[in-house]
Amino acid sequence: MIRSLARSFAVTLCFATPAWADFPQAVSGHILPGYANLAEATGTLADTATQTCDMAALRPAYHAAFDAWMGVQHLRFGPSEVEGRGLSIAFWPDPKGSGARAQMALLTGDQAALEPDMFAQQSIAARGLFALERLLYPSADLPADPCPLIRATATDLARTAQAINADWQNTYAQTVLTAGEAGNTTYLTRPEVRQALFTQLVTALEFTDDNRLGRPLASFTQPRPERAEAVASGRSLRNITLSLQAQRALVLALTPDAPLTIAGFDHALALAGALDDPTLAGVATPEGRLKIEILQQTIEALRDTVLAELGPELDVGIGFNAADGD
Amino acid sequence: MLASALTPPMAIDMIARRAFLAGLAAVSLPRMGWADIGSPAFLAAGKTASGFVLHGLTGDGESLFSVPLPARGHAAAGHPHQAIAVAFARRPGTYGLVIDCASGAILHQLEPPQGRQFNGHGVFSADGALLMTSEVVSEGSAGRIGLWETDTYRRVAEWDSGGIGPHDIKRLPGGRIVVANGGIQTDPADRTKLNLATMRPNLTLLSSKGEVLDRAELPTELRQNSIRHLALLPGKIAFAMQWEGDAAQPVPLLGLWAPGKGAVLCPPDDAFAFAMKGYAGSIAATQDGKRIALTSAPGGVVMLFDEMGHQTACHTRADLSGVAAIGGSFVVTDGSGTTWQVQEEGLALLSRHTLAWDNHLVGLGPA
Repeated sequence: MIRSLARSFAVTLCFATPAWADFPQAVSGHILPGYANLAEATGTLADTATQTCDMAALRPAYHAAFDAWMGVQHLRFGPSEVEGRGLSIAFWPDPKGSGARAQMALLTGDQAALEPDMFAQQSIAARGLFALERLLYPSADLPADPCPLIRATATDLARTAQAINADWQNTYAQTVLTAGEAGNTTYLTRPEVRQALFTQLVTALEFTDDNRLGRPLASFTQPRPERAEAVASGRSLRNITLSLQAQRALVLALTPDAPLTIAGFDHALALAGALDDPTLAGVATPEGRLKIEILQQTIEALRDTVLAELGPELDVGIGFNAADGD
Repeated sequence: MLASALTPPMAIDMIARRAFLAGLAAVSLPRMGWADIGSPAFLAAGKTASGFVLHGLTGDGESLFSVPLPARGHAAAGHPHQAIAVAFARRPGTYGLVIDCASGAILHQLEPPQGRQFNGHGVFSADGALLMTSEVVSEGSAGRIGLWETDTYRRVAEWDSGGIGPHDIKRLPGGRIVVANGGIQTDPADRTKLNLATMRPNLTLLSSKGEVLDRAELPTELRQNSIRHLALLPGKIAFAMQWEGDAAQPVPLLGLWAPGKGAVLCPPDDAFAFAMKGYAGSIAATQDGKRIALTSAPGGVVMLFDEMGHQTACHTRADLSGVAAIGGSFVVTDGSGTTWQVQEEGLALLSRHTLAWDNHLVGLGPA
């Protein structure tokens, strides 16, 4: 508490001192550029889809957009959570295949549903990056020409990304930066912002552990490689790497004093870098599985380090009720 | 540790008032009513830097009294007339404290009989003569409703709750009670869940004599949705669930049950399918039954629904958990000690306290 107060004063009084890292630096150096990048990359993808349905042109633009999303996908608060925007960009995992089902109806149904305003009302599961993946990397022949739906999906994705970016630029950055000031009822104190960002980091590591790694690993007797994230586009491992890099960057923006946390990210990134298995197909082989399990254990240990080191460093923790309800 | 003591009140006039009240309570019977201590609207447990407390709050979230608790509390039950609250330990619970809210004195300490554990919730009969507590048989978690007379708070009987792991219980008109049998068997020594693969939660309606009148179960594919908390609407029971299945599967966390009919499940809009992270922690309904509020601390949201179970709003705030109705709207509490009024368009700040509000906010209004 004392440290937190000291920091609040220091940041308020010596705002220009570059040595300080804190949430204003996370906003200006990590969050705002990340969403601007997403808006730009998805805009390029939408422009490309408007001009052509050539897969050779669309696929690189798709990967660039997905890469940009991985730079911000761990920030699930504020503008990205309005009207389920984040979910409409990346609806995964989808164990019941509701996205594919709703998308098939769009593919073969009334084309009026593809008009931007109508499309924005469609099922969240049928929109976004994973919907595009099913059209750009189809597992079987599609029953109709996918080009109009690709264009509609890419346009909708760009609109959503631009809406998030605009909200951050126009209002939400200010909401965050004025935390604790009179009239700000979103963040009553500055530590509340640190807590929000800390929670994003912990939740994002749990997501990678449980879903990106846990779903394909499944059980030793019944591994499920087909359940890895973005298998069709070959991004499963890349998404893990990019998400770890983005979260590491957020930590560095928040504080220079979390060496164990940074070392934990570096260790996990080194393991991911050495893993020559883009779709995590190795979960089904004994030696491949072992390496992926080691990466998972490293990320679980990293989560514990974040709780043990970064939490106290930022003077925050997981919420009292969120940590232990009933 | 159980010695009665009021924490220092915030205002001078309150000190005088409390000293007066405390003195009065010590010498006088019959007991005071809620109006005599400022008509608190809510009870809420909390955690301070030094320990655990139970507060009585006004509708504006101001504290009228606070009483220390020996361990983390969960929910509380307010006596219908007397200014008496029973604070329950969180499950598996070993204490229930009967607290004189005028003096802060612990009047009785309830201990579950051998082989029974409190499970966090309880409710008084309409006339206040009986206290009913949700309990489990320690080994196996079979549900029981403990009955206590309220002159001396002696255990007088127990009923079968109609399921495994009962949690919330509520009193209906005519003396019936409804039990949320959460379905989860827990280790008697800790909170380890033992039967997630086979759990079957249910809602059980009991007569005023403990006979099973009706029961509702969930469809097979949702049997890992633990029914845990309840709110009453005219002719209907709203229930909140906690999903123990695959977190990637969006499931409804609100249901409505009119006894005699099947339960109706009420998913939120697609956009908010995962906003609660599969966990609804508290539920409340306005007295007219037109609005329902559901909170999720892991998701940091409060969602509003109409009487048909259609979602109308979703507001975010870290660690929101307690919720109770007042008039036509709701008050919610969070882990940073803040109380908020919930409106369709957003949360409005009511008050801030230096503690962490615990899971539940309990209304003291007419039940």
